[in-house]
Amino acid sequence: MKSIEEQLFAIVQQTPDKVALISGETEVAYSLLWDYCLRAAFKLQNTYHLQKGDRVILSAAGNIEFVYVYFGVHLAGGICVPIDPDTNQTRFNHIEASTKPVCVMGTLHNVARETISFSDVIDGTEKAEFIAPKMSEIADILFTTGTTGAPKGVALSYLNLAAAARNINEFIGNSADDVELLALPVSHSFGLGRMRCALTKGATVVMLGTFANVKKFFNEMKRCHVTMFAMVPASWGFIKKMSGKYIGKFADQLKFIEIGSSFMPKEEKEFLMEQLPHTRICMHYGSTEASRSAFMEFQAYKDNLLSAGKASPHTGIKIFSPEGKPLPLGEEGEVCVKGEHVTCSYWNETPERFASDFYDGYFRTGDCATMDADGNIYLKSRIKEMINVGGKKVAPMEVEDILNTIPGVKESACIGIPDPGVVLGEVVKAFVVADESLTDEEIMQQLKPQLEVYKLPVEIERISEIPKTSSGKIQRLILKK
Amino acid sequence: METLEKVIEIVATTCEVDNSEVTGDSTVGDFPAWDSMGHLSILSAVEEAFDISFEPEEMMEIEDVNDIVKAVEAKQ
Repeated sequence: MKSIEEQLFAIVQQTPDKVALISGETEVAYSLLWDYCLRAAFKLQNTYHLQKGDRVILSAAGNIEFVYVYFGVHLAGGICVPIDPDTNQTRFNHIEASTKPVCVMGTLHNVARETISFSDVIDGTEKAEFIAPKMSEIADILFTTGTTGAPKGVALSYLNLAAAARNINEFIGNSADDVELLALPVSHSFGLGRMRCALTKGATVVMLGTFANVKKFFNEMKRCHVTMFAMVPASWGFIKKMSGKYIGKFADQLKFIEIGSSFMPKEEKEFLMEQLPHTRICMHYGSTEASRSAFMEFQAYKDNLLSAGKASPHTGIKIFSPEGKPLPLGEEGEVCVKGEHVTCSYWNETPERFASDFYDGYFRTGDCATMDADGNIYLKSRIKEMINVGGKKVAPMEVEDILNTIPGVKESACIGIPDPGVVLGEVVKAFVVADESLTDEEIMQQLKPQLEVYKLPVEIERISEIPKTSSGKIQRLILKK
Repeated sequence: METLEKVIEIVATTCEVDNSEVTGDSTVGDFPAWDSMGHLSILSAVEEAFDISFEPEEMMEIEDVNDIVKAVEAKQ
């Protein structure tokens, strides 16, 4: 297997004039994309003194310049740490302290720190020499929301990234002829993975950056003859609310859709199938640590739409007991995944600690499921109590830790509840034990500056005591009932 | 004029910016908080404020503040 960068280089040789990226009126051919990546690499090495293995934090806005700099960092021998442009100061401080980057690039909206603009990185004329990376080296570190609330750095090697792209492309079946619209955030595994999948196939990527403007989304589909796109169920909820059945107008144009990241109700899957009967709609199950470990396709699973599908190509899935023993078919246990796409390590964690995340070479996902005789898995619950707000993960403890610092709050516990507006899947609900004189508004006022909007509780309930186990662990599942 | 002022106020409050930063041409994505979630919040606040309800095809046409004003006035 070759790295993403070597595959990209091969495509540049084969089809240098093919359009790689489109953003508004700008079209960038593969040869120019590669040129810009090499220019960025040269500047990173010579102006910003990037050495092999150095980290660079990138504000992952979904624009063309980000793509140049992302690959530029790799070509310069560095490690990319893509983060959401809306990352808050606390999270940024943690990521910065953990990765000790040589520089921070791109615009960050909520962080007081000087950053280098992408345009400064790509404005040179000299180009770095292309040296293929070693597959075992770390390419990216993606910070997820850890169960303890502290962000956790998932390290992904060049092998991990290339294997994931191979598995995904093999399942979906897309080709160089496809035009993919990318509206997902590229700070996350899903969006970034789509960008790599499309470019390693030699396809064209239309960079939209967001689904927020649905009219523009459909206009770009029409204008650029888009044949595929990817979304999370919350994006679909939004598109549907804003446009009803309009997507059906693209039934003869859309060849593929990839959906992932969270639960999607059966009715929504059926609705999409009705509107797009000829489209191969693929839904994955995966995580940052083990990108797209299982897949299902709506038409093929029309009688089994609640299954998360089977192991992806070149991937093994087993269900293990809490004692780390493989379970017989039908028994509920932890989903564990094996494959070259599984993370090579957590950043700043010891190999011993990392080894405890595996059972017999299978990575423990923290999700609970059963498996049938055909290898289809059925997700039951998350062992980790993460709240999924519109595809973005919120650790209950992160919100609780801040709630507990508010004068008058004695203790708190947060859970995910179904979004009353239906669109986001889940939203945060906080249970608090607090002085009666402290109002909900005062609590919210204190939370707002410290948390991203999607992490803010939409409901606060006062209770007299937080249910806990004998060892003092919060029993969030009891609060869910 | 009154509709425009009211819509600007709603957008500014939702996006946590000053009213003076919002104009008729302000559009989705102009402020970090005007993402898809923000867009939904703005439209539902507008529906509530003017006691109207938008159909999906009407919402799809809304890209900026002027579009919102147009959509509201068409309902009144």
